[in-house]
Amino acid sequence: MLVNEYSKRVFNLAYQFAGSYQEAEDLTQDIFFKLYGALRKYDFEKNFTAWLLTLAKNHLIDTYRKTKWEKSHRDEFDERFASPEAAQGPESGLAQEADRKLIWAGLNQLAPETRMAVILRDLQDKSYEEVAEILGLPLGTVKSRINRGRLQLAKILKDKKEDVHGM
Amino acid sequence: MECERLEELLPSFLEGALSQEEKALVESHLAGCPDCRGLLAVLARTQQALAGLPELEVSPGLRARLLAIPERKKKFSFSFDFVLKPSLQPVFAAATIFMTLLSFYLFNPNKATIDRTIDRKVHSGYSEVEKLYASAGSFTERLGDAAENVYVSVKNWKIFGGNERDPYTE
Repeated sequence: MLVNEYSKRVFNLAYQFAGSYQEAEDLTQDIFFKLYGALRKYDFEKNFTAWLLTLAKNHLIDTYRKTKWEKSHRDEFDERFASPEAAQGPESGLAQEADRKLIWAGLNQLAPETRMAVILRDLQDKSYEEVAEILGLPLGTVKSRINRGRLQLAKILKDKKEDVHGM
Repeated sequence: MECERLEELLPSFLEGALSQEEKALVESHLAGCPDCRGLLAVLARTQQALAGLPELEVSPGLRARLLAIPERKKKFSFSFDFVLKPSLQPVFAAATIFMTLLSFYLFNPNKATIDRTIDRKVHSGYSEVEKLYASAGSFTERLGDAAENVYVSVKNWKIFGGNERDPYTE
């Protein structure tokens, strides 16, 4: 069944992209509403997950362009994401938690297309080929876009760390 | 190699996706550039952090909303489905013919003449009706007179005690 099978994936994609839990729930609902309407257009020879994620991606980026979610709109990286290793309390766990916090906030500074590519590859664990299929872009373009996004995030992390040490 | 150009290769270097030649280039640059070594380390942590962002579960509320969508869709499409019912086809066919005929009339170059003819027909029809109504009126009158005559003659018949004096009126 569609909801059982795909709701978690679509919801997480929406949450990672939009950064707001409430917004992600509404977006997921919109995407499923669109999905039911578009099902008859689905070509059975295509990969269904990629097709669904393309539909989701289009809706997310279109909505982003229309509404221009504010940067402050992104939820705080809070207890929703609290991981067991941080709760155990080793120092490395805490440092990783701090990194995750910065990266989560930093995602909003990426251009929507770059952000989507990085999310699909590094958070949703899609292969480069799958990301290229979902985004409808050549493989080379996708790879360089993802690399650019990762570098941008790394620099955000580096700058923030330097700020902290400099204080 | 400049740092800026090398940076672009670092994510692929980290993934082990570079050719032997490119890999050697990056390694020799890293050996002499602490900045790029620092960036590589941060990049590795970035990758780790990205991979460590856990997936969230769908809330029961959202799940219920998603499950309700097909019903909403059905209701929505139902409101338009009735238009496609086969039983309405004759109605649509008749409407089409009517509209076609109407368009023949509305867009006819001799519309004015047709209008005049219709006008005349309607008027003559109207006067016919008036005449009919008048003759019907006179017929009703004659019928009324005849009925009265019958009534008077019946009343005057001997068997009903006609022509006798009425004791109460005197």
